[in-house]
Amino acid sequence: MTEFLAKPGVKNLHNKGEKLITTHCSYCGMQCGMHIRVSERTGEIKGVEPRYDWPVTLGKLCPKGVTAYQQIDHPDRIKRPLIKKKGKFVESSWEEALSLIERKFTEIQGKHGKDALSVFGGVSMTNEKCYLVGKYARVALGTRFIDYNGRFCMSSAAGGFMKTFGLDRGSTLPWTELEHSDCFLMAGSNTAECHPTSIQMFWKARDKGAKMIVIDPRETPTARIADVHLDLKPGTDSALANGLLHLIIKEGYVDQEYVDERCNNFEELKASVEEFTPEHTASITGVAPEKIIKAAHIYGRSPRSVVMFARGAEQQSKGVDNVTLYSSLALLRGQIGKFASGVATFTGQGNGQGGREHGQKSDLLPGYRKLTDPEAVKYISKVWGIAPEEMPKPGVSAYEMFDEIHNGTIKAMHVICSNPAVSSPNVEYIWEGFKKLDFLVVNDFFLSETAEFADVVLPTTTWAEDEGTTTNLEGRVIRIRKAIEPLHESKTDWQILSEIAARLGRGKYFPYKNPREIFEEFRIATKGGKADYSGITYERIDKEDGVFWPCPSEDHPGTPTMFKESFGTPDGKANLPAVGWEEPGEVPTKEFPLRLTTGRVVFHYLSGNQTRRIDFLKDQCPEPYAEMHPELASQYNMSDGEMIRLSTPRSTMELEVKLTKATRKDIVFVPYHWGKELSVNKLTNPSLDPVSRMPEFKVCSVKIEKL
Amino acid sequence: MQQLERSFYSKASMYSFIVVMILIFLMWIGTGQFSHVDIMLFGYVIGSLVFAIGITVRMVSWSLRPATQQMLKRSFVNMRNRKRKKRNITSILKTAVDNIVLQKFIFKRGIYRGITHWLIAWGCLGSFAITFGLTFGWMHFSLIDAETYQMVVMGIPTIKMAADGFLAQMIFEGLNITAMMLLFGVLMALIRRSTNKDVKVTQRPEFDLMPLYILLAVTVTGLVLTVSYKFLGGWMHNYMALIHQITVVLFLVYFPFGKLFHLPIRPMAAGVPMNYQEEVQVDTRGCRRCNTPYSSDDQIADVKEVLGLQSFDLQLADGSYLSDYCPACRRRMRVMKQLNLESSLESPYAPIQTMTDVQVPGFGSPRADAYYDNSKGEKEND
Amino acid sequence: MNKIMYLEFERCIGCRACQAACRECGDHDAKERNYVEHVDFMESRQTFPMMCMQCKDPACARVCPANAIQITEEGVVLSASEEKCIGCRNCTFGCPFGIPKFDFEANKMYKCDMCYDRSKHDIAPMCASVCPSDAIRFIDFDEMQSLRRRRTQLNLVEGKKPTEQDKWKYVPEFFGVYSD
Repeated sequence: MTEFLAKPGVKNLHNKGEKLITTHCSYCGMQCGMHIRVSERTGEIKGVEPRYDWPVTLGKLCPKGVTAYQQIDHPDRIKRPLIKKKGKFVESSWEEALSLIERKFTEIQGKHGKDALSVFGGVSMTNEKCYLVGKYARVALGTRFIDYNGRFCMSSAAGGFMKTFGLDRGSTLPWTELEHSDCFLMAGSNTAECHPTSIQMFWKARDKGAKMIVIDPRETPTARIADVHLDLKPGTDSALANGLLHLIIKEGYVDQEYVDERCNNFEELKASVEEFTPEHTASITGVAPEKIIKAAHIYGRSPRSVVMFARGAEQQSKGVDNVTLYSSLALLRGQIGKFASGVATFTGQGNGQGGREHGQKSDLLPGYRKLTDPEAVKYISKVWGIAPEEMPKPGVSAYEMFDEIHNGTIKAMHVICSNPAVSSPNVEYIWEGFKKLDFLVVNDFFLSETAEFADVVLPTTTWAEDEGTTTNLEGRVIRIRKAIEPLHESKTDWQILSEIAARLGRGKYFPYKNPREIFEEFRIATKGGKADYSGITYERIDKEDGVFWPCPSEDHPGTPTMFKESFGTPDGKANLPAVGWEEPGEVPTKEFPLRLTTGRVVFHYLSGNQTRRIDFLKDQCPEPYAEMHPELASQYNMSDGEMIRLSTPRSTMELEVKLTKATRKDIVFVPYHWGKELSVNKLTNPSLDPVSRMPEFKVCSVKIEKL
Repeated sequence: MQQLERSFYSKASMYSFIVVMILIFLMWIGTGQFSHVDIMLFGYVIGSLVFAIGITVRMVSWSLRPATQQMLKRSFVNMRNRKRKKRNITSILKTAVDNIVLQKFIFKRGIYRGITHWLIAWGCLGSFAITFGLTFGWMHFSLIDAETYQMVVMGIPTIKMAADGFLAQMIFEGLNITAMMLLFGVLMALIRRSTNKDVKVTQRPEFDLMPLYILLAVTVTGLVLTVSYKFLGGWMHNYMALIHQITVVLFLVYFPFGKLFHLPIRPMAAGVPMNYQEEVQVDTRGCRRCNTPYSSDDQIADVKEVLGLQSFDLQLADGSYLSDYCPACRRRMRVMKQLNLESSLESPYAPIQTMTDVQVPGFGSPRADAYYDNSKGEKEND
Repeated sequence: MNKIMYLEFERCIGCRACQAACRECGDHDAKERNYVEHVDFMESRQTFPMMCMQCKDPACARVCPANAIQITEEGVVLSASEEKCIGCRNCTFGCPFGIPKFDFEANKMYKCDMCYDRSKHDIAPMCASVCPSDAIRFIDFDEMQSLRRRRTQLNLVEGKKPTEQDKWKYVPEFFGVYSD
């Protein structure tokens, strides 16, 4: 199999003595194409080369992508398994570490029952591994407590899509069609900083006259170039979306034919948005009525439009409602299932799309099957070779697992590819939880904040030391190639999980020799499910520049555009929501008069465990800061660069002030990529969405004080 | 002087003539009115004279460049200024020691590179000193008695030394020592140039590698010569000597015109602390816009003058020049002009407007706002 | 083949991918040679990328007393040749665009060379390859000309006429000509 893919006529710089390995970036859902430069003689990683012919990103990379290769041979890599002895990590052998895990797991399960163990997964890894984490928890450990960091990332979008369309694929259209669209309505997405390589598509569309409406409390680099910037108060998305729906209906922009044919519940929606006149919407959201009207006209009159949203709208206690309301903007305009139009969410994690389909979620089995569906349990049990009765029942969501730790139900945890000690809301509660555990195992390649709490840290490989597939934000399944052999004594996650399973006497269910074998089993497991990968092979991915799921057979071309004929609901019709306005989980009070919102900077990825270790990225943004409007700062007599204290009902932290007029005057923004004392998630509100169990990272009440 | 200059085609030819005359005169003195000219060294004499002419021509044309001339002019003016005596002396001494003798700045680019360069540089300089001294007869040794040599410099007898003493050994072996330094340096340089991928990016073989090959030829033939008379009883000595002579002449003729010409211009580095930045990284002149120190008055004056001499019109509407602003402000001013943002030059206190609606993003014909207001209900064909 | 670098400041999103990429290029010694700066962060998040225009008659070379700045036959203005540069920094003050950078440690000037190892093989420089918003592009000369014409027309439509000090406004995209 070739390791270097390039289309005819594409020129790449091929240095003498180096080979290029075609793969994708390790970070966000864009999964930008890249080649990794490897020395032919020594097998060392030499650098990166753009993959000009990858159709989604055309060789573009953000600074994280350019420097991604620097993680691989990084001095901070964990070289051998670490065991905590007397509060200090000691390097040990695999044999010792695995024996300890075997002994502890058996002991704890013997004493407190199977469910005393829990697994906390992540989706910044390949489909093969994500699939195996679910199987590992349910077959090897036999626990019902498994969930993953997608609860902090994607689950509201998933919940909203399930509710509206009956099927959750992040984007209903392929990214390459974006340039042909006429209008983008982007809510809560700082695309320019969080998914930078998408921006080229928007510029291409704008060169052809497309309009952009951006909904964001801050004038982010994305909002700066918008035609209309709706600068709403954090947490008021549902009111704004209702306001826009109100105008779309009132001004007659509804594609009645489409709605009648393909949607349920239109009359209820119409009734529920009745009260959201521009003035009423403006009074809730703080956006000027003229801007709302202008946005509605632009959106309503655009022949082709795409509604896009991201964590800003989703990480709220009403995340699912926000998603359903924004999606219904596209439904009313009859945009879904057509060329260059539709709905899309920007997947945050590398395999945020694929990872959530394969049974890492507490209530899901591979192929987006419901754990509550007896048929699904039967089918997967058969694939796995276990009795259906052995299949554990649904567990609880990520944040609620820590409630279970505090309750004493969960005694031990295995964290794989995740760093909840930074990424959870109200992290001090999480830290307490970790301390309370009898036994914590963490798989990671850098010593993350979570790993510091661990009893055993197992060194895993980086993405470039293993092969597999991921699913990018479009739903395109793509290939990650192995650039070098695992460094030091690290092992891949699938090897680690298989070895632990073998030690627990479940080895026969994990007979894998390479990721391809896992992929083959996983294809069968997804067959007939909603996320059907059974027609996808490694060879097809190479040949066809990735394959879009669902792809039920090898001669099926894949599904770039979703819902062309019907939706995934039982009756094939989309469900329009009818949701009124509700305040976010926490509203400003006299004591905590302002709103705090959190987000990312372009230089760091999620909990920052990887990017904070890379010199270039660290130099660009070494520490978090509190960004606010000079008008707000002057009320407290604060000046640029000064240290201030932020407090919420949960905790306090000290930060440097950064002033800019490109933000609302009543909010404070803090990026969240840092751990321990620098973690803004000490302050955030764990108020969960009732459906998706997504915490409300984006809104909480805060008090600021000058130091 | 002007009268004299008119007798020649150019300044360069005048100075070349003078230099050759001086050299011949010195040779006349050194060799006792040409009484002990070593005919074996005749080729070297010719080579050295061409070398001298070449260096002179190159130095003159180089110093006539406006930028170089400005730098030299200011250096000479400052050197005559008594008030700057202390600064001048420290600048020259510091440059001589750090920059020329120790070559510290190259060691900071890499220890390997530092050692390489130091070996080549001092190998060359040492060889030059000995070669020129001997060929022009400025220096020779005469045997006083069986045990003692005397060094004769410019026909004046100087120190005496024991024939088998350490000093004598060192002096006789001088060329061998410098040749060994050169050999190691050149090999190190060749290794670096052939293995380091980065160097290859802008490397030009004829420019960067040629001098190394020539130096290698000179040192190898020279050392073979030594081996020949020391260990092989003078085997093939005459041929070896001829070949060596050819390589040396080639080297001398090439020197002024290739990469190695950087040697004679290096002393100008003394002009930097002397004229511009007395202490490293301490600037004295503030930017006209943001007031951050970025240079010194003298340097900016020189830059403006040099640019003016070469017809670069970098003056702005308010009479200031672009070099009056720090590099960061120059970049910003340019961008603000280009984005049609109000320049703070014209109104320093006004806020910057970035969404001025003038720069329509992208280049497609923008769909006018009217489209969204009036064409209600109309659908495009596609 | 006749390709040029083409910058559009308003497209810049300030991600600094170009700077990270610049460090990756051969002979760049892991030091970026380009700039990404905020126009004024207090007022706006507008940033801009900036790199060498590869002037035909570069002021930096003209003010160099050591004659250290060389231009390749393709027209790329190289960093000061290390053997000649005496470290006076005249180039950084002479350059009308504020491009050359100076390394006080190694006592030499370094600047953008359009990733000479790439562009001499007609492969886009790293910054233009990775720029996610197409603020930096490496395009055909003809394409650049047509983009410029349209931009100038747009300015004229807005009723702005060039004046003496506006030369940049009306030919807004600067470029380093690179021809093979």
